[in-house]
Amino acid sequence: MDYLLQTMVAGLMLGGVYALVAVGLNLIFGVVKIINFAHGELVMAGMYLTWWLWSAWNMNPYVSLVIVTPVMFLAGIAIQKFILSPMQNSSPTMKIFVTLGLSVFLQNLALWMFGGQFRAVNFPWAEQNLSLLGINVTYGRLTAFIVALALVLALFYLMKRTLVGKVLNALVEDRETAGLIGIPVKKYYLAAMGIGISLAGIAGTLIIPFQAAYPLVGAHFTLLAFVVVVLGGLGNMAGSLLGGLILGIVETLAGTYVDPALQQVAVFVVFIIVLIVRPQGIFGGSARNAEVGLK
Amino acid sequence: MKKLSLPWIIIPTTVALLLPLFLRDQYFLHISVLILIYTGVTVAWNIMSFGGVLSLGHAAFFGIGAYTVSILYVDYGVNPWLGILAAIIFAAVGSLVLAIPLLRLRGPFFTLATLAYVEVLRLLAIWAVPVTNGSVGITTPPTQGLAYISFESRQPYYYIALAFTLAAIAISIWIYRSKLGYHLRAVATDEDAVRALGVRTNRVKLGSLLISAGMTGAFGAFAALYFFVIEPDTQFSATLYSIQPALNGIIGGMGTIAGPIVGAIIMTPLGEWLRVTFSGASQGVNFMIYGAVLIIIVRLMPGGLVEGFRAIARKTRRGGKGRGGKRSADAKTTKEGE
Repeated sequence: MDYLLQTMVAGLMLGGVYALVAVGLNLIFGVVKIINFAHGELVMAGMYLTWWLWSAWNMNPYVSLVIVTPVMFLAGIAIQKFILSPMQNSSPTMKIFVTLGLSVFLQNLALWMFGGQFRAVNFPWAEQNLSLLGINVTYGRLTAFIVALALVLALFYLMKRTLVGKVLNALVEDRETAGLIGIPVKKYYLAAMGIGISLAGIAGTLIIPFQAAYPLVGAHFTLLAFVVVVLGGLGNMAGSLLGGLILGIVETLAGTYVDPALQQVAVFVVFIIVLIVRPQGIFGGSARNAEVGLK
Repeated sequence: MKKLSLPWIIIPTTVALLLPLFLRDQYFLHISVLILIYTGVTVAWNIMSFGGVLSLGHAAFFGIGAYTVSILYVDYGVNPWLGILAAIIFAAVGSLVLAIPLLRLRGPFFTLATLAYVEVLRLLAIWAVPVTNGSVGITTPPTQGLAYISFESRQPYYYIALAFTLAAIAISIWIYRSKLGYHLRAVATDEDAVRALGVRTNRVKLGSLLISAGMTGAFGAFAALYFFVIEPDTQFSATLYSIQPALNGIIGGMGTIAGPIVGAIIMTPLGEWLRVTFSGASQGVNFMIYGAVLIIIVRLMPGGLVEGFRAIARKTRRGGKGRGGKRSADAKTTKEGE
């Protein structure tokens, strides 16, 4: 029983990071209306950047957020400006191909630069256990959870309470009208991509103290983020948070009680079950689901 | 609907039939077999894109085909020809898992589900050691002869692959012109309108999935016999058998008959060359180029080469009618007229 609880808490911690990846993806969906197949590869980019800063410059992985965040923000802006923006009026299939091309490119860039082996950050502090009410959690997982949750809540605040958030919400609702009333749509697309991608990068930094980086790690995150978004409902940020936490727990339970090799299979099974039982997501998505591909 | 022009069928077929008589180099024949396998998989993939559905799950069907024929042959002594038949059935049945997302999701979400399915099968193939022999893979016995699809020379492989590929192309043309094909193309244009007209769009899409998956399974099975060795990371490789056929298709022209053939013939040797050029320390560079090519192609010619050729052909035909200086003016008016 204790062991079960222990496992679930570890999964919950991981789920916080998944939620962080998923809210970024959800924001990009909602605002830019693009399905980013390279989202997981950008998590991977954050992981490798943190690893490199640690191995070459001996930088504390958590301090490296100071570099990772702006770099990934700029990467997001560059991707929007040079790759996605020219495709704005293309068919959805072509948009998929573009982000798919980006994902293949980044995967193999990582293979070329860092090789196929696992790259881990051995940060002893993150490995230490904290005992709370009889449950052990490593500092690495706990920090990842707290920082991720704080950022997700900060994004909620941004979307609900600030002018930028209001404009972004307006773009989610109706971008034509938003453009007509004088909102500089393209600028806010850049902002949404910058925010979404930097959250993915930060998630990479948070996770690398307990999960090694390798060139194919991104595919796992892309699937996870998509399943979380479908589970929580498209355009539903709170749903993404809950979905992320649920998936973190499910995945960790499957890894502990079934087989570590089958974690991703468990995620896929959850996906299929959600599609059969509640395709609109557990917490209900927005009415605009059809626009991005959910009936 | 345009009629099929006979020379366009007879000339390439004859060239393909006579090719091994003139070029006896084994490496060249090997590349030719690869081209035929990729043409077959791309043609099969393209049947789904008749309906506007983009699948990245064909590596799953390819892998299922490969594992079916190998397991049946090695563990149960089933003849490979029967094995290929079983591979077709198993791949089609395996595709039914994807029917759930196919019928519930549109566009990008279905595509992602297909890509995830490949990864899931790869992990299962590594995990299920008693059945699949895990990461080590399966080696088929080298007993030679037509009955076992195993030969010393590459020439017989070439002719068997050619027969398979021609059959695939024939099936693809037949579907394109059948009622199913018309329904599929209508679904690609506007699914809701087609449904409102009383067409069971789910059945149409499911039909294309089953046919496409079965055909891919056959090529996966043949490739397994050709390579002798199968293992999860190769046979269930999304890059090799999902993204590569999709790339071939888009370069040639998605949803057309000739597009996937043209794409596979151009891209397969190029891919082989890139792989050989960038090996060792520069591993990964070849697929980086693939990723970049995918982005650039989609930007510059979303209709693919076939569409590009047609545009040029139209222009020259029109240019021929109106002489000399009038050429550009002519083209302009017709464009406006359209």
